[in-house]
Amino acid sequence: MLVDFELINLAREGDDAAFGEVVRVYRKRIFGTIARLIGRPEDVEDVGQEVFLRLYFSLDQLRSPAMFEPWLYRLTVNAAYDYLRRQRRRPEARMADLSEQQVQMADARASRQEARSEQDKRRLRDMVAGLLGTLSEQDRILLTLKEIEGLSLKEIEKIYRVNENALKVRLFRARQRVLKAYAGLAPAGGPAQA
Amino acid sequence: MLRPEPEAPNGRLETELSRLFVNYREALPDPEPTPGFMPGLWRRIDSRRSSTGDLRRLAQGFVTAAALLSLLIGIFLTLPQGRVSAFYSNTYLEILAADADQSQGVPVDLEMVPVEAISYERAQ
Repeated sequence: MLVDFELINLAREGDDAAFGEVVRVYRKRIFGTIARLIGRPEDVEDVGQEVFLRLYFSLDQLRSPAMFEPWLYRLTVNAAYDYLRRQRRRPEARMADLSEQQVQMADARASRQEARSEQDKRRLRDMVAGLLGTLSEQDRILLTLKEIEGLSLKEIEKIYRVNENALKVRLFRARQRVLKAYAGLAPAGGPAQA
Repeated sequence: MLRPEPEAPNGRLETELSRLFVNYREALPDPEPTPGFMPGLWRRIDSRRSSTGDLRRLAQGFVTAAALLSLLIGIFLTLPQGRVSAFYSNTYLEILAADADQSQGVPVDLEMVPVEAISYERAQ
């Protein structure tokens, strides 16, 4: 928890200053999660405002301050999912698109040593977005929370309120699908781009 | 590392993919909020509050109107009861019984007419 229970309780009781403080503490982390979930930096703040707006009007339903973070993540996931449904413009990267990316990446072998250059970062973002684009929106969000946000299964279980085994199965299938798409990126021959 | 090694074993692919996700996480740091974020958020909260308040006021208006209407109907149903005539307060059977009593009290003077004497013309 980034804030203490007292602050959460004050915000729950309608203290706007306490709520403002909670937002100030969590907004950057939530923005990061939203950015990685929706993949459109220009809309991150708008979705972030939606998350905190929903938080403001639903905070009184929070049973215990200990559940605050899973609650906030649930609101974030729901807002991101609603956004993606509204937009219907997720990167539809199918295997054909990935092959195209593969060609583009083959042209950029010269820059492989500059692992943190902006160009590489952009390429990396496009590549992962393409791989995740092979999944449904729900699975993409789930896999992002696990693999990229680094949430534990227990934490995801609290967010989704589902059985851990069901989560494991779903995550495994999603990861296998991404792995298959990733394996499809391997060139027919030649060295790996490291 | 961007692309997988050609014909990499599945275990190595798994590791590469995990590393790819870590690199992706590092390539996409948490963005800083702009100065307009908090004012924008409070504007949206105030706007939602006022629209919720309008809805609540509307609902309260409906409830008050419904309560007032119920009260008026109640008054309307109770007040006129004193002016209803006794005739309308009797049951159907009581009215029939009263009617039968009245019929019995009227003297009936019937002329006995033989059946043969009754003809169509006479009836006309």
